[in-house]
Amino acid sequence: MSEFFDLVMLALLIGMALAVARTRDLLAAVILFSGYSLVMCLLWQHRGAPDVAMTEAAVGAGVTTILFLLAIGRTGRRER
Amino acid sequence: MALAIAAAAVPMLAGVMALPRPGDPAAPVHARVAAHVVAHGAEETGAENLVTAVLLAYRGYDTFGEVTVMFAALAAVMTVLAPRPRERSPEPADGVAISPVVVFVIRLLAPFIAAFAVLVVLRGNVSPGGGFQGGVMLGALLVLLSVVTGRGNERPLLEPRLASWLQAAGPLTFTLVALLGFATAGAVLALPADPAWARGAMLLALELGIGVGTAAIILGLFLQMRGW
Amino acid sequence: MPSGLQNLDYAAFVVLFCIGLYMVLARSNLVKKLLGLNIMETAVFAFIVTSGMVDDGTAPILGNGVAGPFASPLPHALILTGIVVAVSITALALALIVEIHRQCGTIEADELKGAE
Repeated sequence: MSEFFDLVMLALLIGMALAVARTRDLLAAVILFSGYSLVMCLLWQHRGAPDVAMTEAAVGAGVTTILFLLAIGRTGRRER
Repeated sequence: MALAIAAAAVPMLAGVMALPRPGDPAAPVHARVAAHVVAHGAEETGAENLVTAVLLAYRGYDTFGEVTVMFAALAAVMTVLAPRPRERSPEPADGVAISPVVVFVIRLLAPFIAAFAVLVVLRGNVSPGGGFQGGVMLGALLVLLSVVTGRGNERPLLEPRLASWLQAAGPLTFTLVALLGFATAGAVLALPADPAWARGAMLLALELGIGVGTAAIILGLFLQMRGW
Repeated sequence: MPSGLQNLDYAAFVVLFCIGLYMVLARSNLVKKLLGLNIMETAVFAFIVTSGMVDDGTAPILGNGVAGPFASPLPHALILTGIVVAVSITALALALIVEIHRQCGTIEADELKGAE
């Protein structure tokens, strides 16, 4: 059961990373990256690392996403 | 392109397949220093959270470097995004007006989020958490409140001179504790073993310094990038 | 030599690292490159945290009565510092991207190469 959870998490991670690579809309890429960060946090919680998981949740889904959104708000939403 | 990535991936995969299985208790990563930390960490440092014990006591210099890196990043962002003397500041983009439901909910939740963030910082010794996690939560709360109350660079939530001192709180606290450690225990950043309350007080001071510094730095980064 | 299936986690992190590397090398938009760099960084962090895990191990926090094998706390401390440094790098890189856009009007690396 625990291996199944691991497999699903890893498959989600790889799928989200591929989606971030392929999409041309930068807003979608940033939101997908925020979700990727959340799944990574769950993976680390499952591996017995609650400190690292809390930090990644606060930083990845919080600070990094905010800064990216501010930056693409100033520079443009689509990738040419 | 594909050749370059394959050339990078193949040796990594080969190396990674030859490692011991993750979760193997006999792997070399658990052998020497980790075994000592797990066995003796709580009594040598007074912190039950072994990760905090490693971060603040066994590897205190690395944490010193980490808070300095964060402060330096804020200073660099301020330098890069400083407006030119002859240019006006960049115009803020016209945004959608914030709905009053969002404003009400955030104002309702703000004290609870602040209390939880302070709890995480102060109980870094005994439960998962610590200075940095609580600091990021507090910083994110300050960013939310800045957006919701509409106060940007004109009347920011922290006035600029106080904000500068708070942003430097991380490196300043570490320097202070380093000097105290040198005075009481003979080595820089050492924790005195004799009065247990002194050791706990120094760890608490470090946690508070990291937390407050991180929160102020995150608010500062947001205000710089927003460019109000 | 352990069988390949047991190190599936490590192989997945190598794949993630290569996806991030592809984004850094192949995409010309600077924000995409920065996203790729972040994916590479989190893949490395995940690799190091996974290497510190123990079978049926709990988090390395001694409470009252918490016993049993603990996950090694050293990789966790290393990764905490690493996450902080990654955030600082991202913040500075985003500030530089915004400034480049202000000065040159574009953030595509192909157009920037011909700019000056």
